[in-house]
Amino acid sequence: MMAFFKLLTQSLAILLIALLSACSSIPELEDNVEKPRVKLSSVYEEKAVTNQYDDPWEGFNRRMYYFNAKADEYVLLPIVAGYKAVTPDLVEKGISNFFKNLGEFPVFINAILQGKPSVASETLGRFAVNTTVGVLGLFDVATSIGLVEQNEDFGQTLGVWGVNPGPYLVLPLLGPSSLRDAAGTSIDMFALQVVIDELGMTAEEEMFLSLLGSINTRANLPFRYYASGSAFEYERFKVLYMKYREIQIAR
Amino acid sequence: MRFKSIVIVLFITACSANTQPPLEVKAETCDIEYTQYQATVTGYCQEAEASLPAEIPIIEKEIALRSVASIPDVFWYSTKMKYSLVKQEEKAPLAFVIAGTGASYNSAKMISLQKTLYQQGYHVISLSSPTYSNFIINLDSSTDFPGVLEQDAKNLYRIMKKVYQQVITEDNVVATTFSLTGYSLGGAHSAYVAQLDESEQIFNFEKVVLINPPVSLYNSVNILDSYLDLKEGGPDAASTMLDDIFLRFADSYAEQESSSFSQSAIYALFRDANLSEEELKLLIGASFRMSSTDMLFALDVSYNVGGIIYKNHKINKFESITHSMYRASVITFKEYFEKVLVPWQQESDASLTREALIARLSLKNIENYLRHSDKISLVTNADDIILAKGEVEYLQDVFGLRAKIFPRGGHCGNIDRVSFVEYLNSQFQGAKQ
Repeated sequence: MMAFFKLLTQSLAILLIALLSACSSIPELEDNVEKPRVKLSSVYEEKAVTNQYDDPWEGFNRRMYYFNAKADEYVLLPIVAGYKAVTPDLVEKGISNFFKNLGEFPVFINAILQGKPSVASETLGRFAVNTTVGVLGLFDVATSIGLVEQNEDFGQTLGVWGVNPGPYLVLPLLGPSSLRDAAGTSIDMFALQVVIDELGMTAEEEMFLSLLGSINTRANLPFRYYASGSAFEYERFKVLYMKYREIQIAR
Repeated sequence: MRFKSIVIVLFITACSANTQPPLEVKAETCDIEYTQYQATVTGYCQEAEASLPAEIPIIEKEIALRSVASIPDVFWYSTKMKYSLVKQEEKAPLAFVIAGTGASYNSAKMISLQKTLYQQGYHVISLSSPTYSNFIINLDSSTDFPGVLEQDAKNLYRIMKKVYQQVITEDNVVATTFSLTGYSLGGAHSAYVAQLDESEQIFNFEKVVLINPPVSLYNSVNILDSYLDLKEGGPDAASTMLDDIFLRFADSYAEQESSSFSQSAIYALFRDANLSEEELKLLIGASFRMSSTDMLFALDVSYNVGGIIYKNHKINKFESITHSMYRASVITFKEYFEKVLVPWQQESDASLTREALIARLSLKNIENYLRHSDKISLVTNADDIILAKGEVEYLQDVFGLRAKIFPRGGHCGNIDRVSFVEYLNSQFQGAKQ
């Protein structure tokens, strides 16, 4: 996990520096083009929902969105399909529960950082019950006894502390994010790493665990790039992501 | 409507890294106050959901109708026409299903129809609407400009023949008889395809059911356009209203105990948001405008119209097309009809009047056929929002005993509810005959 984490941050930093401002999304027009007949309505443009969020890195983001779609199609989804084919549903469920249980730790920390004692104690309760009665998190016993799942991360914590999302940012493989949430994601990964270190595994075992974790994450995401079929999926998904983060933070 | 599914999909995807995949529990009924607009947006959730299989063996299919090189770069992900097949083990009757305006072969309503028909023993082939981007982009010749029912029916019929051949060779489908259905605009398409089949006689449809079709496309689309036409304040008012709706959803979500979005949690969000009629109309209108924006863009790219994109410009796949979205978003159907459709149709037929074209966008154009064709049934709701005054009575008159009109359900709101599915089962009995 640590290796993966380092690799990710390094490549992210390099990519960001190299590409963020360098890529353009402005159309390169041929000589014989004619302006679209429908005029741009400045009133509409100003008020459009899709225009409420900054996207100065659009050139980079669109390329990354494309890259992610291709990576999904040729690498991630075939792996997920293979994983689902060889893993019995019950085992799949157990693995999913196991990683979810590990993920309770960052949720707990963030609930505390946001001053939400009820969410923190409920999450701690889930972790305690599922780790013991639920055999190291393989079974989700907590939900059935009324300890419901919560959703907190460091991006939300920063939001609660008043940090603005900053520009929209499409991360490699991880997808839609913002400058704030990307920072939050790396902190959460770090927190997760602390828990994994406690398990006292060898480097190879950690590698296997992080690989399995990534496959499990993708397997549980029903999202498919361009499933909407719309040419404007990029614009709409940006709004949905930003809006969704707003309601999470308001919670 | 598609807006709802997009929102729900987002909610599910965005939080599902940490949540379980949606559970296959039967969703309970809701306690939201009924209106035809509410039923159109959330579904007619006051009635119990029909008992349908949780999972059916859907095979995702695609067929090449154009050379990949001829597909514009900006639609790089759309180089083949997509459709789906649900296959019975043995030989069985086959039903084609056509999606509604701007919807794909795998929209939520399509899945519901697939389940119903599969349960009745049919092989099911689902096609996207001729107004869906992937369909438009993959039409195989430049004379197939979509948007007029008769031409759409020809395109659909040709594609139905091709995909049928494909499922025979690739999936060993053995069909005993053929049936046809479609919802919303797909219902109107079904009527025209059925008529074409009378002369072509390839499928000789046994049963055709039109689900919530428009009578006059022109009327229906003007109704939907009017929902977004907030005279006082224009776009300002629409955007304020959307913001306000969003804030109420956010508040309600903040109150919710769990962070997950189950079906019952979504109903609860709608109940707490307590949307007014005007707000529900806004959501319906906005969803429709999103579909029409996608459609206009696909048409413009395919036929180099130069309406919302630069004429003669080849769009790069990384290029910002947001400006085209803004341009398309302000176009009402009326404007599109007057400025694009009428002149374009007149190019090939100079004597064609505006009124004649409106008639071609209507079931009234084939009224005589519909009146006397026993294989065709109609099902709709008395309060379907896309029907103008007098159109429910018109449908009742034309279809007589072959019409089933439910008192409630809005536009397609009851497609997965008990009494609607019971009705469909009574119509599609292919395997049980």
